Amino acid sequence: MKELEFKDGSAKRIYQSYIERCLRVLKPLNQAAQVDAIMDINSYIYEYMDHNKDLSEMTSLLNILDRVGPPEETLKEVVAMKKIDEAVSTYNVKHVFQALYYNARNGTLYFIFGLTVVLFLTFPFTIFMKIFYPEDVGLFIGNGSFFIGTSNDDPAIKEHLGNWFIPVILLISVVFYYLLIQLLKFIRKSKLK
Amino acid sequence: MKSEYIKNWETQFKKGVLPLFVLSLIVTKEMYGYELILELKSQYDLDVTESTMYPLLIRMMKEGLLEHKWVEQQSGIPRKYYSIKEEGRSVLEEMRVMFQNINLKVN
Repeated sequence: MKELEFKDGSAKRIYQSYIERCLRVLKPLNQAAQVDAIMDINSYIYEYMDHNKDLSEMTSLLNILDRVGPPEETLKEVVAMKKIDEAVSTYNVKHVFQALYYNARNGTLYFIFGLTVVLFLTFPFTIFMKIFYPEDVGLFIGNGSFFIGTSNDDPAIKEHLGNWFIPVILLISVVFYYLLIQLLKFIRKSKLK
Repeated sequence: MKSEYIKNWETQFKKGVLPLFVLSLIVTKEMYGYELILELKSQYDLDVTESTMYPLLIRMMKEGLLEHKWVEQQSGIPRKYYSIKEEGRSVLEEMRVMFQNINLKVN
């Protein structure tokens, strides 16, 4: 790939640093796919700067890099898509697992969101259980076990929170609730892009 | 001043129709990425950034709607020109019919 030429040394360094970031994100792909993608990005940068010669090199470069976005975000979907192509066309086990990883990673946020919802809904339920079954419900540790729930009469497993169980669970529920709201805000923001 | 609701709706609406507009432009002549961005602004008043355009074009190629070729330029930085495939033309026709139907029903 032919690198762009800059008169402004600082702009050149920023450009090179950006290209290096792109190459790091593209590393999981085969050589041809990497070259194709980096040439694409390079072309977008060049065309914008060429069409906006009235701006200084630095301003123009910063504008276009802002428009292209962080490589870790813009190229994430592209890497995941092209990885599937590689996996499907080669049947190579390594590519298959990489494709699963890169595509699952893009859905990780929703997985975390789902898990947080489940925990947020079940933790407060234990508060009610504690009120009606104070001796049987709590935080149990022992014999290699660590769980919140009901005891199983194993003498080695003891309840550790006692009367602090309800305040601790309330606090955990508040934390999960706050986390849920932040996740929802993040998901909404990413959908609106 | 647009309400937050209208702004969000407008964003989602433009995201939805963007493939239709891209196909409508490319069906007339092959174009490169930045050229598409400029045409989308001038013909449809759509502000699309490269971070949206680039993955969209890759997706459309993956779906078999577009194909591309690299063309060397005097600058030494080649341009990636996109052209529409037969599948892209039929999808474009379907999209246009749907868009017109929705437009009729709404009006």
